[in-house]
Amino acid sequence: MEFTQDYVQLAAFLGAAIAVSVSSIAAGIGEGYIAGEAVKSMTKQPESRDQVFRSMFIGQAVSETGGIFSLVIALLLMFGGFDVAAGGWQKAASLLAAGLAVGMGAVGPVFGAGYAGGQACKSIGRMPKHSNDILGNMLIGQALAQTSSIFALVVSLLLLYTVPNQPIDATVGDMILKSVAILGAGLSIGLGTLGPGTGIGTVAGRACDMMGKFPREKKEILRTMFLGAAVSESTAIYSLVVSFLLLFAF
Amino acid sequence: MAMAEAIARAAALLGAGICMGMGALGPGIGEGFVAGKACEGIARSPENASLITRTMLVGQAVSESTGIYSLVIALLLIFST
Repeated sequence: MEFTQDYVQLAAFLGAAIAVSVSSIAAGIGEGYIAGEAVKSMTKQPESRDQVFRSMFIGQAVSETGGIFSLVIALLLMFGGFDVAAGGWQKAASLLAAGLAVGMGAVGPVFGAGYAGGQACKSIGRMPKHSNDILGNMLIGQALAQTSSIFALVVSLLLLYTVPNQPIDATVGDMILKSVAILGAGLSIGLGTLGPGTGIGTVAGRACDMMGKFPREKKEILRTMFLGAAVSESTAIYSLVVSFLLLFAF
Repeated sequence: MAMAEAIARAAALLGAGICMGMGALGPGIGEGFVAGKACEGIARSPENASLITRTMLVGQAVSESTGIYSLVIALLLIFST
């Protein structure tokens, strides 16, 4: 089947655009939530503004990681120098799927990290004395939420660098099968991180809130947060397994 | 491979990806919600910590079931079509 190099280039550009635009929607909302809670908290307790400002800044920086992963993949897609001429359908599908995986994969984790950061700001405003405990809890929770966006990054990098060029003698049937399997791998991890990322962020946010209200139960809260986050993460791992199967079993 | 067979097979693979991706959404959010409420409960009444943890795990296990259904369907779509 005739396939000019323009189409592979088109897939790369489309993947880059989807990656950055979808993840930046989430990053904007998530970080905006943190800033909103911080402002509310500063209005109510102006005396704890330094601690709140610090936690807002750190929380926003951690929330941004998903967006930065997407930016990196988008830049690689645009300037990474892929073999566009000999790539074929298979290469086009893998470049598009890489953008889809990392762009959609950042949404859930960034929302989750944003919720955790916002709750931490609220909580620190209420209890500036325990700001270090709450900040530590927020960072652990946000890191747990971001793990699933790291899964998406890994799949995306595998899609970029391990999918071989389409063999010249491939039949049309093989071509369709391989390309669609690659797209499926990208969609599986891209959609699959949405729930776990948001869920772990909810756990971390509630834990931060409660740590501000009941600082004496710090250890119990942290333990429950870890346990709950680990169970929430399981579905992201299923998605990762399905992605790997779709990538490497065909 | 015949064209029709290849298309059917390709559709099954795409379906497997979408199935697991969408199927992970609900359990992930639900389990996170349960765990968040458990954190609240343990903070408010730490003397009931073991009861709350137990209930949390049972609730999460039930919530997980749809995720496992999705995994099973995805694996069936990949390996048995």
